[in-house]
Amino acid sequence: MSDLKITNLHKHYGAFHAVKGIDLDVPSGEFTVLVGPSGCGKSTLLRTIAGLEEASSGKVEIGGRDVTWARPRDRDIAMVFQNYALYPYLNVKENIAFGLRARKFASAEVEKRVARAAEMLGIGHLLQRFPRELSGGQRQRVAIGRAIVRDAILYLFDEPLSNLDAQLRDDMRVEIKRLHQELGRTMIYVTHDQIEAMTLADRIVLLRDGVIEQLGAPLDLFERPSTRFVAGFLGSPKMNFLNATLSPDGVTLADGTKLSLPGRKTSKAGQAVILGLRPQHIAMAGKTVAPGHERVPVTIELVQPTGSRVQVTMPLGGTSIVAELAAHDVSRPGEKTHIDIDMTRAVIIDPTTEKVI
Amino acid sequence: MPAIAVHPDRNFKYWLLTPAIFLLLLVGLFPLIYSLIVSFMRIDMMDTDTSFAGLYNYANLFKDSRLWWSLAHTLLITAIALPIELLLGLAMAYLFLEKMPGRQIFIALLVLPTIISPIVAGATWRLLFDNKYGPINQILGWFAGERVNALWTINPTLVYPAIIFCEIWQWTPFMFLILLAALSNVDKSQTEAAEIDGARFWRSFRYIVLPAIWPVMAIAILIRGLDLFRIFDIIWALTQGGPGTKTETISIYAYVQGFKQFETSYTAAIAFLVIAILTIVCTWAIRRMGLAK
Repeated sequence: MSDLKITNLHKHYGAFHAVKGIDLDVPSGEFTVLVGPSGCGKSTLLRTIAGLEEASSGKVEIGGRDVTWARPRDRDIAMVFQNYALYPYLNVKENIAFGLRARKFASAEVEKRVARAAEMLGIGHLLQRFPRELSGGQRQRVAIGRAIVRDAILYLFDEPLSNLDAQLRDDMRVEIKRLHQELGRTMIYVTHDQIEAMTLADRIVLLRDGVIEQLGAPLDLFERPSTRFVAGFLGSPKMNFLNATLSPDGVTLADGTKLSLPGRKTSKAGQAVILGLRPQHIAMAGKTVAPGHERVPVTIELVQPTGSRVQVTMPLGGTSIVAELAAHDVSRPGEKTHIDIDMTRAVIIDPTTEKVI
Repeated sequence: MPAIAVHPDRNFKYWLLTPAIFLLLLVGLFPLIYSLIVSFMRIDMMDTDTSFAGLYNYANLFKDSRLWWSLAHTLLITAIALPIELLLGLAMAYLFLEKMPGRQIFIALLVLPTIISPIVAGATWRLLFDNKYGPINQILGWFAGERVNALWTINPTLVYPAIIFCEIWQWTPFMFLILLAALSNVDKSQTEAAEIDGARFWRSFRYIVLPAIWPVMAIAILIRGLDLFRIFDIIWALTQGGPGTKTETISIYAYVQGFKQFETSYTAAIAFLVIAILTIVCTWAIRRMGLAK
């Protein structure tokens, strides 16, 4: 059974068409992440699911019930906001209890549920404090507590981690993942951060300009992107894009370098294409060239160590590419060396349609 | 080496302030003290004897039923007009919270009554309420199907509704404007969160909106409360306190005593009674509303 079903959903703001005909089906218990660059319509989509924005046309069903025109409070949802939206004049306990009291739960039940939610999130000692007395991470926990204390069908998260510092963001990400595993509830999570999307999602919905660009499991999208946009959006550092021409057994780069494409036959030799290479699929030349790999000579231009790995920039095929190598593979710019490119995982893109061939 | 500038006399700034302070004392404190002295004297138009009378004037205050009636009239008008202005202003502010085309123009038009001088507003309403030539009776006549001859400013049962209506007409926009500004500052995501949490309007207002707008709302109530307690112009223009002394407020009574009867000392005593009442009420209100924090 699906907990959320969206059919041909449109949202206009005056002349601006923010959501352009989205169809989405979210099965029970799934963690779905809506991801995309700012302005792609992901927050609008989430707010329309929540009922905070009115759909211009289309249908939203939650738990099998058509709620397109229902008020937010009648949709059986819980939501965590980007700026936490804690009630400043109520203490932590009353913040968490607010929804239960509004829905007329017996006070013993309220106490029990608040205590359980507080324990799950490790905020039991903060219950008497007011939001202004809490740190960013604690506020975020309270906001999550306020959502999970209720038995909603759907839990919505609107960029909940974007106001936290990097360290805290990593901790809270783990926390949210753990919560989802423990509760097993259906969650819809909006973010612009592709790492959050990759790590949290059962399924990623990648949005661009109000339409779904691609939808699938994180690794599917990472390994089999359907468009140049998806290929470029997911993964860090970004995928390298090189202009190339198809040849019968491979591609030729702008500077004449020939690379083979194992296992792929093409009849469209001579067609201009874009070759997509992930930095992770480029390695320092080993003793032998592995099958499906191509060895090319390069000169190191820029070295950015990240600790465990090193990001190396080098010219190739008339442009600069980035490779992610082992920490001690290269030491200084200017070094002349060889790299091995895993061509089995290369992506070929049609430059006019921007679709992966 | 250039010489280091000599630091000017540190007390010089106080010398600069002296004229202003002197002026303030002259126009503020002096009349206050002087009128306090006058209130203990026997100054009026009838007598050349201006000797000290001790608490004579203050003792008379307690025997003066016209004074206590005027105080009652003032409180009646305040007690009815203030809550209505507050609730109407709040309701209008809620309406105008939503973005809509022409919003700014409507707000500007709605605020017009407040910028009119109360005496002008009162005089205009007197014309509108006129029993023979006023449009109000004429419009009521269309609905009634016969000639209406309501004596709005004379009939004792109609005069209070008329006064309170004018007062509300003129000052609700003030409440509206202040509350609109306060409401616009309430974090929208908090009310959205409450809406998703299942709260209806009242719960959301009680726990989220009201605490957020309360400091501003309390000050608006205080300002309007004080204004209403001192109400003069609009009633003077409409009824001059009439019929008889039926709509005489404390300010009108003080004016009549001071500038019609020329009971100078007695008027000073009335003024000090008003100051005493307002000081007590204001101090209590400021503490009670938590504005002193």
